[in-house]
Amino acid sequence: MKKILIGGVGSVLLGDDGVGPYAAHLIDANFEFSEGVVVEDLGTPGLDLVAHLTGVRALIIVDSVDNRKEPGSVTLYRKQDILKVRPAIRMDPHSPALTETLFVAELAGDAPDDVLLIGVTGKTYGDTPGLSDEVEAAVESAIAEVLREIERLGESYSRKAQPSDAGIWWTAYSENAV
Amino acid sequence: MTKRITIDPITRIEGHLRVDIEVENGSVSNAWASCTMWRGIEKILQGRDPREAWLFTQRFCGVCTTVHAMASVRAVEDALKLEIPLNAQLIRNLILIAHALHDHIVHFYHLSALDWVDVMQIPKADVNKTTALADSLSNWAGNSKNAFRQAKDKVLAVAASGQLGIFTNGYWGHPQMRLSPEVNLLAFAHYVQALDIQRKANMIVGMLGGKTPHIQNLTVGGVANAINLDSQATMNMDRLVEIKKLFDEVMNFVHNVYVPDVCAIAGMYPDWFSIGGGVKSYLAVPDLPLDTKSQAYDLPGGYLFDGNLGGVKTFKTAADDAFRKGVTEDVTHAWYEGSKPLHPWQGETVPQFTDWEADKKYSWVKAPRFQGKPMQVGPLAQVLIGYASGHELTRKWASAALAKVSAVAGVKATPDMLHSTLGRHAARAIRCAMLAELAGKHWQMLVENIGKGDVATHNAPQFPAGEISGVGTHEAPRGTLSHWVVVANGKIKNYQGVVPSTWNASPRDNNGKHGPYEASVMHSPIHDPQQPLEVIRTIHSFDPCMACACHTFDPEGKKLATVKVL
Repeated sequence: MKKILIGGVGSVLLGDDGVGPYAAHLIDANFEFSEGVVVEDLGTPGLDLVAHLTGVRALIIVDSVDNRKEPGSVTLYRKQDILKVRPAIRMDPHSPALTETLFVAELAGDAPDDVLLIGVTGKTYGDTPGLSDEVEAAVESAIAEVLREIERLGESYSRKAQPSDAGIWWTAYSENAV
Repeated sequence: MTKRITIDPITRIEGHLRVDIEVENGSVSNAWASCTMWRGIEKILQGRDPREAWLFTQRFCGVCTTVHAMASVRAVEDALKLEIPLNAQLIRNLILIAHALHDHIVHFYHLSALDWVDVMQIPKADVNKTTALADSLSNWAGNSKNAFRQAKDKVLAVAASGQLGIFTNGYWGHPQMRLSPEVNLLAFAHYVQALDIQRKANMIVGMLGGKTPHIQNLTVGGVANAINLDSQATMNMDRLVEIKKLFDEVMNFVHNVYVPDVCAIAGMYPDWFSIGGGVKSYLAVPDLPLDTKSQAYDLPGGYLFDGNLGGVKTFKTAADDAFRKGVTEDVTHAWYEGSKPLHPWQGETVPQFTDWEADKKYSWVKAPRFQGKPMQVGPLAQVLIGYASGHELTRKWASAALAKVSAVAGVKATPDMLHSTLGRHAARAIRCAMLAELAGKHWQMLVENIGKGDVATHNAPQFPAGEISGVGTHEAPRGTLSHWVVVANGKIKNYQGVVPSTWNASPRDNNGKHGPYEASVMHSPIHDPQQPLEVIRTIHSFDPCMACACHTFDPEGKKLATVKVL
């Protein structure tokens, strides 16, 4: 059976860019899903994301976006919104963003039918791990959108009686960190 | 009349590579390469436990996560002079090989082939002629008439849907696009097939590393894989056989599709063997250690200056003294404080941002130098150093590739032609063919060693009081990667990563010497300043990756080149 992939995308080392992985770890720690729903911290895969789309019928991505809205805004983008962006000429392998990834997956016959990008507008992309207050406050609604999409896709979820360790290792204490 | 062209596809937030060139009379007269994003990752590591540094360094870059994890544990092990069990060396080697195979295939087919291949020509292609051409190149099973027809239909369908514009990295219709419709179709069909092959190479990384991206099986002192040939829950014979099958499938593609494709396309653009050379001093470190003390290696390393292959010097080990002592980083033209080149163990990372200033500071990338000189790193350096030092496997695949290029181009291809844009593509294919062959050898060694009853995978690290320092290297897909760590009383005191793209994307140094990207585009022809395809081709041939690992999605889209008349 084809699966549903909930993916957190972004760099955990660069402030609000880590919102995707952060949300993915929290979802994994707090919720259980019906069979065939997978939660992954995908990092910043660029075009390598294509490799994760084989056998995926629906893709739900949480990522930081640069859409000139207020920090912490949560905006939903569907497959057609993403595909209509004309990507710039890329200079390095990070640049092939979601648009090109979906297009290439389409060529390979691997593109998911359903795509939802839950975009959280970032505030700071500095050189330290951890989210700004605005983005931290938006994580709950981003997760709520993930759960709503899971229901829309005809799958189910439940909150774990005992949450597991979210494993947010990148914000762990460092005595000399600035 | 001089025109200044800025090639900067990226916003402030994404912050990657920017290239500025000045064009005079159809040729590049000056060049600057800069990274537009600050990397403060080294600071994040200060004060942390060296055993967990690899978790953080693995996030330096989202594309080559594995290589930074590996260099990090090797740096700490070097500081501790820790031996690594043979199983752990071999499992690490297999992960590194699988990662590199995946990375090289993606680079050629999905990130740079469309600089040379014009998809718009495909509707004109004759499927029968394409099939005959493919048959003359190799006996790959995917070269069927049916496969080429399907590929052509795919392009027709996408064109009909109006979505072809998505491949804007192809300057289609540019007069420098010179392949026949049939070769374009052949390359595009392999582009689609390569998607499946790269995924299989990546699966090997996941099977050995526990997960991909972000492998989980590393540990300072070895790997965390449990080995028990009779247990379903650990690394057992079934799993090893599955891994071998995947390696064989990838090797078949590399030897029978990737290498022939690169040679055929290169042979049709022979003028590009004399464009894009630049810095002809090369550096590579040995890799794929064969013993627990990391004294013998399957891949050679060393250095040579100014294209003098006869003067090659080899490194005995991956942390050779000449390498250890020879590396410095200069910040004269980088946005950091500092007045003189520093060795990485003394390295500082204190930002001092000015604007982009052509004569002063203009990049977040430092300028690494070896024995004071800019060095080119990457597959071309690996192959030239191997070739020059008489390394048998390098010579075998380099000779085979040069013979194939000669046959297509109708002129004799020589190793000297490799100092060029196409030389980098050819060298990457040569290196990939070597790695594919070595996968089988290292797999066999692992199986035999486990068969002897050795299941050890880990030696526990002990951190002494006081200060120790180490360097961990890996000859990564993009070239020489080194992590430099200073540990004081069990905590990280200093950490510097000198990554392949810093060598290649380096700005000018204190002597005003260009880095390799900059030097490679100097004097390049530019047919149309509005469409600087020639610069894109040469920069892409390095497989650039700024290791900045930030890629926020921009729903508005971007434009590429801005041209300003000076």
